[in-house]
Amino acid sequence: MFDVARVVEAWPLLAKGAWVTAQLTVAATAVSLIVGTLSAMLQLSGLRAGYWLSRVYVSAMRGTPLLVQLFVVFFGLPLLGIRGEAFLAAVIAIGLNSGAFVTEILRAAVLNVPRGQIEAAEAVGMSRWQLWRRTILPQAFVTSLPALTNEFTILLKATPLASVVAVTELTYAGQLVIARTFEPTEILLTVAAVYVAFVLCLSQVSRRMESRFARRWSIQ
Amino acid sequence: MLRSLPLLAAGLRWTVVVAILGMALALALSVVLVAMRRSAHRFVRAPARIYTEIILGVPILVLLFIVFFVLPEAGIVIDPLPAGLITLMLYYSPYLAEVIRGALNAVPAGQIEAARTVGMSRFRIAQRIVAPQAVGLMLPPMTGLFIGLTKDTAILSVISVAELTFQAKQVISRTYAPFEVYVLVAAGYWVLTFVLETALRRAETSVTRYRRA
Repeated sequence: MFDVARVVEAWPLLAKGAWVTAQLTVAATAVSLIVGTLSAMLQLSGLRAGYWLSRVYVSAMRGTPLLVQLFVVFFGLPLLGIRGEAFLAAVIAIGLNSGAFVTEILRAAVLNVPRGQIEAAEAVGMSRWQLWRRTILPQAFVTSLPALTNEFTILLKATPLASVVAVTELTYAGQLVIARTFEPTEILLTVAAVYVAFVLCLSQVSRRMESRFARRWSIQ
Repeated sequence: MLRSLPLLAAGLRWTVVVAILGMALALALSVVLVAMRRSAHRFVRAPARIYTEIILGVPILVLLFIVFFVLPEAGIVIDPLPAGLITLMLYYSPYLAEVIRGALNAVPAGQIEAARTVGMSRFRIAQRIVAPQAVGLMLPPMTGLFIGLTKDTAILSVISVAELTFQAKQVISRTYAPFEVYVLVAAGYWVLTFVLETALRRAETSVTRYRRA
């Protein structure tokens, strides 16, 4: 029933797709972290406009399907004069979507930084920027590491959506093979297995990072 | 654009129907999974655990393709709508099961022992001690999952289930205004998830009234 030869034959194309999936995941994670951090800072900065901008961004991203967001970005970019950039559209859509969840994660972590530390930092004369960079953010990132890894696992699992705008990542590579051979079983199960392996790798890496940070910062 | 509104409204209706059916099916399977995970027999617990581990690693789009394209290879031909519903059920049930399991475990064991001591039956304990507290604990994370499920119904457009996103594609093939249509569609989902979130939050407030009494 399961013909390994079909997988072997399709493997070069699938491996190329898996590499694109990895690139897509890393690029979208970077966008998500940057946007999420800025949005969390904006929301807690005390600026009224900044607070509402961040709230509306988070609500819009969490309230609408990623697939629709991807289409909006994909068909919106040409209006800005950027044409034929499906990979870029996917990175932006997936990154912005995940950034909303990162905002929520970091917001909770920042609010958990003891008030006394912030007062102490102000007392020794740190500027606002130094306060964020040296006192608040490092702790917020370490305490929210498990939640962030969980979020980036979800991000990895969202990358197949890029196949609908013809980014040749793993799922689309699989579809291309199937369109030629009309044998979906082996290919789809292999694709699924590769994602499971990716997710397991990611959770291993995060476990290592957590224990390393925990030792260095002696935070439980 | 205006002439396509009825088509989009029909799509929105289907999205609501698919989401509600998907929630019901996922909830049903998740209860089975919880029962399996709490079983005394290892051979009942293990399959549920392995299934959960696998689903946590598989993207929903890939799962949809497996249900829609691989099952027919095994002789089970299904229409897009049932395939979509099965996918939503298979994908969301392990997540829901984890939420339910966590909420049940969070009810203090001392209370259950106390209830047993005063002679309550197992059913009475479940009804009067465990359920009232566990439901309040599981509703907030469940709200997130149900909103996720509602949004993921959009993915069923890929196999031509006539929900909102699929109807949007139909409209676009006539109007050639993809950006505008998708922004409109996004607004539709936004309203839908807002209504769902508000309703479930109300429900949470009412079932957790005992905490404030």
